[in-house]
Amino acid sequence: MKRTTLTAAALVLVALLGGVGLARAQAPIEDELVLQTPVSKFIVDAALKAFAQHAKEKWNVNLKTSALHAGTPVSYGRIVEWKGKPEVDIFWGGESALFDKLAQQKLLVKVEISKAAWDAIPASIGKPKPVPLKDPNGFWVGTALEPYGLVYHPRLLKRLGVAELKEWEDVLNPKLKGNIAQCAPTRSSSSHATYEIILQEKGDAKGWEWLQRLAANSGIFTARSRDVPSVVAKGEFAVGFAVPSYMAFEEKLAGFDIKFVAPKNAFVTPEPMGILAGAKHPKAARAFVEFLLTEQGQRVFMERGLFPITPKYKVQGPPGSTAELAVEFTGGVRSYFDAPVSNIYDDDIAQKRYKEVNEQYRKDIEAVWGDLKKKY
Amino acid sequence: MTPPEGRAAVLLQPRPWAKALPALGVALIWAFLLVFLVYPLLRLFYDAFTDDAGRVTLLNFYEFFTDRFYLRSLWNSVLLGVGTVVATSVLGVGIAFLLVRYDFWGRSLFSYLTLIPIISPPLVGVLGFTFIMGRAGTVNVFLMDYFDLLTPINFVYGIHGVLLVETLHLFPMITLNVVDALGKVDPSLEEAAESVGARGWRKTWTITLPLTTPGYIAGALLVFIWTFADFATPLILGVHDLLASQAYLNIVQFVDRRLFRMGIVISALMVLLAVLFLIAAKQYVAIKDYSSLAYSKVERRRLSPVKQILVVAGLSFVMLLSFIPYIGVTLAAFGRGWSLTLVPLQYTLQYFERVIVETPKYILNSFLYSGIAVGLCILVGVPIAWMLARTRLRGNAALDALNTLILAIPGTAIGIAYIRAFHVEIPGLGVALTSVWIIMPLVLAVRRLPYTVRGSYASLLLVHTSMEEAAANVGATGFRTFRDITLPLIWKGVLVGGLFSFMTSLQEASATLFLSLGGWEMMTVGIFNFYIAGSANEAAALGFILIVVAAASLIVINKVAGTRMGGMFG
Repeated sequence: MKRTTLTAAALVLVALLGGVGLARAQAPIEDELVLQTPVSKFIVDAALKAFAQHAKEKWNVNLKTSALHAGTPVSYGRIVEWKGKPEVDIFWGGESALFDKLAQQKLLVKVEISKAAWDAIPASIGKPKPVPLKDPNGFWVGTALEPYGLVYHPRLLKRLGVAELKEWEDVLNPKLKGNIAQCAPTRSSSSHATYEIILQEKGDAKGWEWLQRLAANSGIFTARSRDVPSVVAKGEFAVGFAVPSYMAFEEKLAGFDIKFVAPKNAFVTPEPMGILAGAKHPKAARAFVEFLLTEQGQRVFMERGLFPITPKYKVQGPPGSTAELAVEFTGGVRSYFDAPVSNIYDDDIAQKRYKEVNEQYRKDIEAVWGDLKKKY
Repeated sequence: MTPPEGRAAVLLQPRPWAKALPALGVALIWAFLLVFLVYPLLRLFYDAFTDDAGRVTLLNFYEFFTDRFYLRSLWNSVLLGVGTVVATSVLGVGIAFLLVRYDFWGRSLFSYLTLIPIISPPLVGVLGFTFIMGRAGTVNVFLMDYFDLLTPINFVYGIHGVLLVETLHLFPMITLNVVDALGKVDPSLEEAAESVGARGWRKTWTITLPLTTPGYIAGALLVFIWTFADFATPLILGVHDLLASQAYLNIVQFVDRRLFRMGIVISALMVLLAVLFLIAAKQYVAIKDYSSLAYSKVERRRLSPVKQILVVAGLSFVMLLSFIPYIGVTLAAFGRGWSLTLVPLQYTLQYFERVIVETPKYILNSFLYSGIAVGLCILVGVPIAWMLARTRLRGNAALDALNTLILAIPGTAIGIAYIRAFHVEIPGLGVALTSVWIIMPLVLAVRRLPYTVRGSYASLLLVHTSMEEAAANVGATGFRTFRDITLPLIWKGVLVGGLFSFMTSLQEASATLFLSLGGWEMMTVGIFNFYIAGSANEAAALGFILIVVAAASLIVINKVAGTRMGGMFG
């Protein structure tokens, strides 16, 4: 008898505690959200602003948002350096392999968004090598599709007597000597990925020779990848190599007359997002991820030169809208799910030899750049 | 009102605290320097001499000195430094002589204008330069559009561009120091030389040059170290094989731990080299009195009208060149979509709206942190100056050396040292110093301390000790003497030093870059953030504001201090 009473009391207690837990789970989000990201302010600010508005409407929360901006390597390094006591809640952007590495170090927690939102995203895109768009283990999810391609200044090309660019080979045109801008693969993940694509497409020997020729044609190695579209927009150099589409589009919106093309096999990233273990605002972080995958969230990307992560949406808008301008800018692409995507990039190969490629770049290109310019 | 007897009693039997207080003060000042300067630097060296497992090793340095690329970077850095010193010396010494010894139309205006190049804001200054002198800059576009130039002239991309930009930016350091030194040369010495028949070159060679050498060396050393440590200029101009560029690039990438450690090693090496240079020039740069204190009244020679025109035209040309960054920054701050035209075709205030109205934190943080930093500078720096000028405490030589060392240490190295040193939880508080905003004003205070110390020290030397002794004779305590006699006489120096610390704190963009977290952004961090985000226009708008603030500070400093600015840099 007594025992039963005790058991019953214990059960009630458990139920009560569970109820409290539930009530807490339903409580609105925290009033702050901080990101660590290599994605440009152009995209991040817009996404945070839309989310803050959403939070106000849905939960009546006055959300304070901010973002620490740094390139992919720095962002990643900071998170590792924080050792599970992060100053931010979310890591956004860069290569998905880095997110896998963070998950292995137990620096991420599962994103745990709604099943509907998760299932709307295909597991991968591209052939013969599929590009994963979400983590089968649930530690990261793609937010938007973003190709790394070539950016060019049409007026300057005309002046140089060079036709508009279509293929990777076009950048080796001798008329473009000294007019290519690129960033070192040791400093830019977009450059590194594109170097890998050239190497994997052509094989090592031919690939490195091609890259040496590219270096010989280059007029500048910028300090960071973001400088590449800037110097092209300004007209300092005619062509930028390995530029993410949105960075180029940002310059277009800033009033510069430039165009973007993603040649065959160009690298495509899903701009992964993950929630950090030990984040101070986990609920706000989760809600942010969920929000970005709604139509409202995806629109933020579609109006800024990126492509939706799910086939559910397409880049379109009224004539003259920024969405339509983006379509024109990227050569008429409305969705990456409309046509077959060619991808040969093998991330396993790339990650295994990451340092070797950097080393070889240092030795065969950076250290001998002056000689290469004379040779080719 | 203390009765005279009481005062005598105090004089004869000092209260215990009167003795303990100064000792406590000295201890606090030393504690400050040890914790916020010596410890981080030691930590940097510890990292440079250990491997990832914490074992002591020389392997890192072996790797550096066997790597051809790093060696070339070291060699290039030294060459660039020497080249800049030579170029700035030609410009700087020439202009200094003109300003001090000759009278011509617009002389005082020029003596103010020659200060301006120094305040070129970090990063956007050189961006502004490329906007005018770049491949698609105004000058090349002009030549291509009107003179059918086919390929643009490469003025800036390459080490020659770095030399050009650094020279136009830094020559005022030489000018200031030489003007300062020339102002102290007693005319009677030169008259004496003339009376025994030494005129013209001979007089200059035997009298004037030796007397101005210390000031010149101090300026030259700063030019050298500045060029040596600057990473922003070469990076924008596409030059990576320099030591500072390599330190920066290796540190800001975190993925490759080996490269990261090499960044630390290069930073440590730069500190070591800076120390070596300091020792080499020690007798000239230590805070000590090397010539007569009084500024002599200089007789200026009036130039003939033809010579005046030549001088004014020459100076105007140099000024025009060195103002290029300002022109570029201003155009970029107001112009939209500027590409391949002489000047922007569309103008807007949107960038100012973004950096002032939408995100006022840049300006607010800048003023707040720099203000606190100056407070700290005065709190710590004035007593240091007093200790150096008035006491023979053990450790004064070390104090002097530490202060001078700060001027020579690259900000990048300090920033990195702080990250390594203060990313540990403070016992009892459960939080690391790197997570608290106070670290920003702290690092600023340490970086800018020498200016306050120098400003105060220079003024203290001008106050003859006999005045303080007189006060002590009539019974004033040490503190009272300081308050009633010393302070009223040196406030100008403290103010100038403080303002200088303030202005240069606003401009600081190396150490703070590494330490800034979300919400702490200062204007210079904002410049970097916007630039990193690809918004050169917003960066230029912030740069424009910095220029205006710094120019205003300079006017005040110039009004208060006149030509004595030089003491600040030397």
